[in-house]
Amino acid sequence: MRIVVIGHGMVGSRFAADLAREDPSAEITVLGHEDHDPYNRVQLSSVVAGKADATSLALEQADSPQVRVLRGVRAVAIDRERREVVDARGDRHPYDRLVLATGSAARIPDIPGVRIDPDPAHDGLISGVSPLKDLDDARRIIDAAGPGRRAVVLGAGVLGLEVATGLAARGMRVTLVHHRERLMERQLDPDASDITRGALERLGIVVATGVDATGITARDSRLTGVRLSDGSMHPAELMVLCTGTVPAVALAAAAGLDCEHGIVVGEDQATPKDPAIFAIGDCAQPPEGASGLVAQGWDQARRLVQAWSPALATGAAPVPAGPRGGDLVRVKAVGLALVTMGRIDRAGPSGHAPRSVRLSDPAGGRFTEVVVQDGRLVAATVIGDDEAAASLSAAFTRATPVPRDPVHLLARPLAVQGAAGTARPVTEMDDEEIVCQCNGVSKGAICQAVHAGSTNAGAVSKATRAGTGCGTCRLQIEELCTATKAAAAAGAAPDGPSREAAPVQPPPAMAAARAATAPEPADAPEPADAPSTRGGGGSSVPVSTSSATAVPEPELV
Amino acid sequence: MVEGRDFPTNRGGLCRKGWTSAEVLTAPDRLLMPQLRTPDGGFREAGWDEALDLVAAGIRTAQQRDGADAVAVFGGGGLTNEKAYALGKFTRVVLGSRLIDYNGRFCMSAAATASNRSLGLDRGLGFPLADLGGADAVLLLGSNVAATMPPFVQHLEGVRSRGGLMVLDPRDSATAKLTADGAGLHLSPVPGTDLVVLLALIHVVLAEGLLDADYVAERTTGLPELRTATAAWWPERAEAVCGIGAERIRETARRLAQASPSRGGRGAYILTGRGVEQSTQGTATVTAAIDLALLLGLIGREGSGYGPITGQGNGQGGREHGLKADQLPGYRLISDPAARAHVASVWGVDPDSLPGPGVPAVQLLDMLGRPGGPSTLLVAGANVVVSAPNAGAVRERLASLDLLVVLDTVPSETALCADVILPVVQWAEEEGTMTNLEGRVIRRRQARPAPGQARSELWILRELAARLGDASGFPTDPAAVFDELARASAGGRADYSGISHARLDAEGSIQWPCPGPEHPGTPRVFLDGFPTPDGRARLIPVEHRAPDDDVREQAPLHLITGRLLEQYQSGAQTRRVPSLLAARPGSFVEMHPLLADRLGVEDGEVVLLRTRRGETRAPARISEDIRPDTVFMPFHYAGEGSANLLTNDATDPLSGMPEFKMTAVEVLPVRSLERSPA
Repeated sequence: MRIVVIGHGMVGSRFAADLAREDPSAEITVLGHEDHDPYNRVQLSSVVAGKADATSLALEQADSPQVRVLRGVRAVAIDRERREVVDARGDRHPYDRLVLATGSAARIPDIPGVRIDPDPAHDGLISGVSPLKDLDDARRIIDAAGPGRRAVVLGAGVLGLEVATGLAARGMRVTLVHHRERLMERQLDPDASDITRGALERLGIVVATGVDATGITARDSRLTGVRLSDGSMHPAELMVLCTGTVPAVALAAAAGLDCEHGIVVGEDQATPKDPAIFAIGDCAQPPEGASGLVAQGWDQARRLVQAWSPALATGAAPVPAGPRGGDLVRVKAVGLALVTMGRIDRAGPSGHAPRSVRLSDPAGGRFTEVVVQDGRLVAATVIGDDEAAASLSAAFTRATPVPRDPVHLLARPLAVQGAAGTARPVTEMDDEEIVCQCNGVSKGAICQAVHAGSTNAGAVSKATRAGTGCGTCRLQIEELCTATKAAAAAGAAPDGPSREAAPVQPPPAMAAARAATAPEPADAPEPADAPSTRGGGGSSVPVSTSSATAVPEPELV
Repeated sequence: MVEGRDFPTNRGGLCRKGWTSAEVLTAPDRLLMPQLRTPDGGFREAGWDEALDLVAAGIRTAQQRDGADAVAVFGGGGLTNEKAYALGKFTRVVLGSRLIDYNGRFCMSAAATASNRSLGLDRGLGFPLADLGGADAVLLLGSNVAATMPPFVQHLEGVRSRGGLMVLDPRDSATAKLTADGAGLHLSPVPGTDLVVLLALIHVVLAEGLLDADYVAERTTGLPELRTATAAWWPERAEAVCGIGAERIRETARRLAQASPSRGGRGAYILTGRGVEQSTQGTATVTAAIDLALLLGLIGREGSGYGPITGQGNGQGGREHGLKADQLPGYRLISDPAARAHVASVWGVDPDSLPGPGVPAVQLLDMLGRPGGPSTLLVAGANVVVSAPNAGAVRERLASLDLLVVLDTVPSETALCADVILPVVQWAEEEGTMTNLEGRVIRRRQARPAPGQARSELWILRELAARLGDASGFPTDPAAVFDELARASAGGRADYSGISHARLDAEGSIQWPCPGPEHPGTPRVFLDGFPTPDGRARLIPVEHRAPDDDVREQAPLHLITGRLLEQYQSGAQTRRVPSLLAARPGSFVEMHPLLADRLGVEDGEVVLLRTRRGETRAPARISEDIRPDTVFMPFHYAGEGSANLLTNDATDPLSGMPEFKMTAVEVLPVRSLERSPA
């Protein structure tokens, strides 16, 4: 079977490598128009932020004689009649199956003065203005960055936030400009957006929303400032364009395949017009919509490989759906933890109304909203809490059961709490409580040994074996020796407050959750089909419904 | 009466298992006579001659009918070096069977495979345990030493005082709690995702340039491949898989790097335990841990290193001297012609008469009684119907055998499945040696006579050898067996040739390799290079796959298993010590209060656990020390509540390690089952 892959980026290279591993009979040709090896574009914003070294971006690629990678070779046409791909040199590459992984390009907004060359390649941009789509862009941006310099970041989507915080971390004075009132409007609701804005402002970033860039100033063909639609002027040596991406569909469109925003494909990634042609990654438009996230592209690649693998081909077993998480959006921003996941319009087919609970703490820079349906987390937004973001992300991608009352999800409940609450002082323990776990010796037994004449820890250990295992209780034994002797001298027992006197403490997770949601009637009754505590079928869900015309987020997430 | 002795490994410390170990010697049901199965399903006592004649006849019949591999042997990591060696020799020379393996396969095989592949050698810890005390950072991956090996914790005091103890465990275990109060960090991953954490740590080390570039250039190969393999595991991506925050992952990597010698730190150690190793990707996970240690320049440097924490008394020695399916004494590969020639010459046999490699434990157990599989099995030092994964299926396999012979000290659950039970001696009743987690060879001495008619395995093997042909290769004096073992190991990776009982008696202990009588032993390996063809360690790229039996709608929770402080292995010994049994009388299911609340289960209420392999019931024990998406069961118990009725017998393709540590499970309150019509 001859497979031709067009595109040697993050998705195309992984597809070729995985297919070679799974199907030894596949003869794979990859056409990549770039000269270099595939690399991790998702990490470009981390390179800009100084968190990652550019040399660490190289991605694994096929290491197999089955795979022929042609670097620096641009595909210019698809001859569907003859099933051949024509490259820029005129060479023809016959295929039995063709996979388009052509990715996307940065969308360059039409700002007067930004383009110095009508050629739409970004090389035609005025010096000081750049998108962030490849390594050259990242290097250009880093060269222009520096402490005290001024930058305008255009677009407050995921990439815009990452670039703005990254440049701020490099000591730049950053203005983040967004054409909508809400930041990351595809993911955040107004409250979450406000809290995000506050977090950005605390990092020293000026946030200008509801405005567009309408012009620039330049000297010696270098950017000196950006004019916004409200008439304000912002001096800047650097403007980074984070204004979305455009799927690369030209090749497919010219071959007569259906293209809307991206190349239209079915659930099997095949184009409806030509079952021998498939599209994966940013260039594809699957039925559920493109997220612009690499996780989605990698999952498409994995499913396609599985569907083609000889083991499954004969059994005709359906390819299992990938793990959830294709729409998990994690902002990799220095000083700002922000993750959103899930879309309520894709909640399960069940008639049970989703339940939604939120914690909003603008002063603390924290926000968590969870949406639970049928005992699973179907959507969430977390701002300002790394550990909650991590544990909810894992619960979401693995679809593990969540607590009966979703309010418990608001306060870091899913990972182990860590060893925060430490034991009471040994002197306040009850006699039957175990002091030496290794040997199961109680406080009472130790006190008895002291009374019986073992006056130091060594003697107590000899008499009771306490402290002879891991040894971590030796200090407590010393303490008990001292206290018991002192108490004996004073004629009293060394006991602390009695049990009755100690107030009963709720578990920390529940207590925190209760405090966080104090004004709300959090303890909604089971069963699971109870109405949402916020009074309606997910009206407060922070994630937007998808819109076919919306410009997708940049892929860099 | 047992007392602690000041010794570098435990510094005089003992836990309850140690203090009470004398009670195992006098267990009320101690086996004192051979037992033969009676037609009514019970047992009767027999004399040794009758029992051994029966076993020898069974072996002969099976082999005459189906060939040498009709008889298989299953050993244990609790056997002395001498007994492990003799059992391996007996299998290869007397039985001529390739089918031998041991319960260490469930314990150390992933770490052993990874260490051999990356470093050219597996000696457990390549350094004295006491070295840990001087480090600035220790990363403990999937090990609960505070419960399983409490005296170990003394060696962590130094690193805790410097805030550098980092523990990866889905539970807030006794060991994880040692990181509290500024002593370090606890990372609680989603079960089955340990490898993702390690790949992300490697990613951070490379992305932030934290590696020891000189060391990597001089002492390793494979950096470019490792770089590309980990490029896709940036911390924010790993976070959504493993549930540990990206910043916490970065902090862990940075702390390790700061502690590393190339950055002026006092040193760092990365240690692995069964929690990360008992997985279908166990070898890959340990490989990633070694990769991380190599990148930071930790291995082969005094004061830093990587090591697995051996779980059984002689797990290390057991895997060096011939219990493993593919190995000959001295950690030699049975498929290596030079190794076969050397060992055959020591044994006085033709190298071509030695069988080839057998199969790993899980596959071996699965072959029992099947067409083409062995029809007779000898078990020594193992309780597989409790300790093997998918234990219900193992019991069925044992029942399908023509002859099952079990050598044991007590009527363990596996012994009770046998046709012939042979009573053997145990720790204070015999002479011998063990090799501990530091590759330290230590003596075991006889303190009391054998009870009843219990005999050493060495004697039993000689008697069987005599009945099957020739007993000349089977001395019963442990010192003489050790001397032969030492000769067989000479020139091998685990070279004991300079060690003898007399030398150990004089010097206390010796760490191998010890290639000559004047050689002082080797406390620290790899200081001068790695025993690979080019002297360099291998950085090996690995990939994360999901667990074999991952959570799904019908089984949405993670089941993990492990040990309790008061119990040991299958519990055959510790469940016979009244004070230990009283402390931990039976199995339980640990679960978070939020999970209990969701299930509607109260503390102590019996729940049903169901996996693809079986189901069992056990009372719930509610605790905040575990993730709410995970339940924990101890694996020490038989019958109802036996964790291994549930666990997965899928194995790691490289090491044969089963996936004990992550099973998708459904948990149901029994009450609700009884209420609803079935």
